[in-house]
Amino acid sequence: MSVVTELKTRTPAETQLLQLAEARGENENARRPAIEALRRDGLPTRKVEAWHYTDLRALVGRRIKDDAAVASLKAGDDAILEPLLANSVVICLDDPVSAHLPDGVMATSSSSVADWQASPNHLDRSIDTIRALSAAFGASSAKIAVSSKTSVDTPIELRPAAGSDSHFYAQVSVGEGASATFVERLEGDGSPAPSTGVSTLTIADRANVLWIVDQEKGAEASHLGQLNVTIGADAVFRLFVLNAGGGLVRYEVHAETVGEGADVQIRGANLLKDGQHVDVTTTLNHRVPNTTATETFRNVVTGGHGVFQGMIKVAKGAQKTDAKMACNSLLLSDEGDFSAKPELEIFADDVQCGHGATAGEIDADHLFYLMSRGIPEATARALLVKAFLGEVVEELEDEAIVEALEARIDTWLDTHA
Amino acid sequence: MRKRHPVPGLLIPVSMETDMPAVQETIDRVRKIDVDQYKYGFETLIEMDVAPKGLNEDIIRLISTKKNEPQWMLDWRLKAFERWKTMESPDWARLDYPPIDFQDIHYYAAPKSMSGPASLDEVDPEILRTYEKLGIPLKEQEILAGVRKADEPSEFDDNSDTPPAEGSYSGRVAVDAVFDSVSVATTFKKELQKAGVIFMPISEAIREHPELVQKYLGSVVPISDNFFATMNSAVFTDGSFVYVPKGVRCPMELSTYFRINERNTGQFERTLIIADEGSYVSYLEGCTAPQRDENQLHAAVVELVALGDAEIKYSTVQNWYPGDKDGKGGIYNFVTKRGDCRGANSRISWTQVETGSAITWKYPSCILRGDNSRGEFYSIAVSNGRQQIDSGTKMIHLGKNTSSRIISKGISAGNSSNTYRGQVSAHRKASNARNFTQCDSLLIGEECGAHTVPYIESKNATAQFEHEATTSKISEDQLFYCMQRGIPEEEAVALIVNGFVKDVIQQLPMEFAVEAQKLIGISLEGSVG
Repeated sequence: MSVVTELKTRTPAETQLLQLAEARGENENARRPAIEALRRDGLPTRKVEAWHYTDLRALVGRRIKDDAAVASLKAGDDAILEPLLANSVVICLDDPVSAHLPDGVMATSSSSVADWQASPNHLDRSIDTIRALSAAFGASSAKIAVSSKTSVDTPIELRPAAGSDSHFYAQVSVGEGASATFVERLEGDGSPAPSTGVSTLTIADRANVLWIVDQEKGAEASHLGQLNVTIGADAVFRLFVLNAGGGLVRYEVHAETVGEGADVQIRGANLLKDGQHVDVTTTLNHRVPNTTATETFRNVVTGGHGVFQGMIKVAKGAQKTDAKMACNSLLLSDEGDFSAKPELEIFADDVQCGHGATAGEIDADHLFYLMSRGIPEATARALLVKAFLGEVVEELEDEAIVEALEARIDTWLDTHA
Repeated sequence: MRKRHPVPGLLIPVSMETDMPAVQETIDRVRKIDVDQYKYGFETLIEMDVAPKGLNEDIIRLISTKKNEPQWMLDWRLKAFERWKTMESPDWARLDYPPIDFQDIHYYAAPKSMSGPASLDEVDPEILRTYEKLGIPLKEQEILAGVRKADEPSEFDDNSDTPPAEGSYSGRVAVDAVFDSVSVATTFKKELQKAGVIFMPISEAIREHPELVQKYLGSVVPISDNFFATMNSAVFTDGSFVYVPKGVRCPMELSTYFRINERNTGQFERTLIIADEGSYVSYLEGCTAPQRDENQLHAAVVELVALGDAEIKYSTVQNWYPGDKDGKGGIYNFVTKRGDCRGANSRISWTQVETGSAITWKYPSCILRGDNSRGEFYSIAVSNGRQQIDSGTKMIHLGKNTSSRIISKGISAGNSSNTYRGQVSAHRKASNARNFTQCDSLLIGEECGAHTVPYIESKNATAQFEHEATTSKISEDQLFYCMQRGIPEEEAVALIVNGFVKDVIQQLPMEFAVEAQKLIGISLEGSVG
């Protein structure tokens, strides 16, 4: 504690965060270097390119103002009633062993912390902030493995520990030729001090994984999430990210194709209302030839600040890469704003890469079409917003999953749009 | 303080200038084989007036004195210099170059003043050859060489005093040649005067039109804007000044040939163009520079002000020495270009063809302040060899119903790196702002990189932004089709690339379009096979 008070350049919020990390008792040796690194580097500001639109130092500072704020961090009501998908098996990440898992799935607890020093080069800092925070707080750590050639029909829902200072680190591996569906469920009131969730997902050759992120935290919650994926040869990785809550949220996806024939499909919907700051940052790193990727995010903004940063990287020699990215935003009010930075970084010549980004309001022609058929304006608007989001959800194809996600989206739209 | 350059002959020509045809032929052949295809690689050996190296208050005072500047201008420069001392060179661009020693550069170089030769025969043949290579007409050469003043009759005149018929102006270009740092002369002054257009070196404008310069200089790019712009504000030596009065359509295209000539002299141009209400002006800027070994710094600032209903079209062809095949030498080009659509219904259009320079750091931007104003950016950036380009634009929508359009075509070959970096933003009050952006990259070869970094920021629900970017290679089918019909590979590539950039070429004035197409071909030579 005494070391912390010597800091002059850190903001009060950063100091509070470090104090919180210091106060955690367990696993001191593994956490110490991460705490020191954070003490040295602090939280990123907008001058750090990877955090250009999310000035974490300022945003966290606004949420944790003084000692009192930290002391009053609410425990929150973290009770989740039902899993997102029916018939799911739920793994509590702070107690993975007690789950009743389907055949071929193993879950164990672990004492390791996120590898915060292996900073991906898209983050122009010496440390990866989200992983460093995760390591500094000594996240509850779990290892989940799906055996080769196992087709797991039961969706596996991953839930972080309940409580105000929830941090988790999940290492998931899916064996050769296996298939599985995971739901990362982020709910509860949360706390102004950021919780973290870092996952690594290793997809072996010919495996097929669907990963769904359902983030519906409370309006005061701050959450920093990160999913690091490696995709083997002829493997398929599908991801759906739903952000329909939280006060300050950043979710990073860093996917890397390491085997030829790998296919990545990322879809997502960000629903924003007043007072929120939601940032989705993705990197698609094509390291080997003949890989494909598509990425589409749809954003509906009724208020708050939305951010999408998407990077497609094609390494030297990764010929025949076919990668597409799109980010479409619907701004329903002048109260909100949306910033997009879709980037391409290409070092191979025989590729097809592209991105598109749009921002605008509901198309007047579409509205007119519906209204001219007797549909009241409010209903027509709601229909168009729903259709705009529905397009990305329906690409998941599985009926039960599409319905479950649409239900979450409808709930949000009914309340906020 | 001032130092005359010793003897012109002491400058070692890196170029292939020689009078012996046989030697020339050999050199030509060698050059064709080499990757190093710099067509305008020659050095003009004329006497120069050079200030000592380094940047300090004395140098700024010297520049100001040489230009006979009023006190307010000197104060302005010194204020910029004070600011510059506190600033750091930006490092966010995707550019890799050794740190620049700003104290190891000459900040002032001027050709020794012309005593007025009687005819072109008496003019230094080196200069004439320079003009010839640049394709400057004889009549203009006279003026540029100081044989006659712009308002004196020429022996090449067709002796018609009557103003040319409407429409016959189209092929005419007024040239304000910036020969190194000093505008040597201005042509077509008379005709422009008739229209009321002021087109002169900015150093003259500071003396003759201080009220205009004081009002607008630094109003688009403030002295504290960025490292290079601030440096320019302190040490700019010359540049062009254009004022188009209310309701006047400038009768001809205005043009400047920039050449960086003296070894190790930074070129710090300052251009200010003001289009008053309802006026129109089209400005061409073409650049060539001699081939040489040491890196040269260029930090220009261009400010455009378009008042209500005015339109400015600014076209650039930039073809400075890109360095040799190992990346040695070449121009460092750090340019701040910005246009301010200050009045309602105003319009600013940037068109650029960037084929030269070792390092390009350039973001011609538009501030769309006036309601219904429109900004356009058309760009072709070709990089080959070890060139590095980080270029793009900013469209800042502030007014209502503003629109912007960005078409950027990047072509990278060899070991080059080509980055498009652009920002489009709509502020809260910019209702109905519209933007369309398309940036396409073409890669030729496995050793180059093409990058796209757009920033799209919308704070208004009625703003509508569309952004599209693609990266691909030259289609094998197209190449095969051309080659099958007997077109050599290199020409076929040039042909296909010219098709790829067609959208932008079409935006260029005729005079430039032809040259630009040739330039693109030349720049890509040696990139295939």
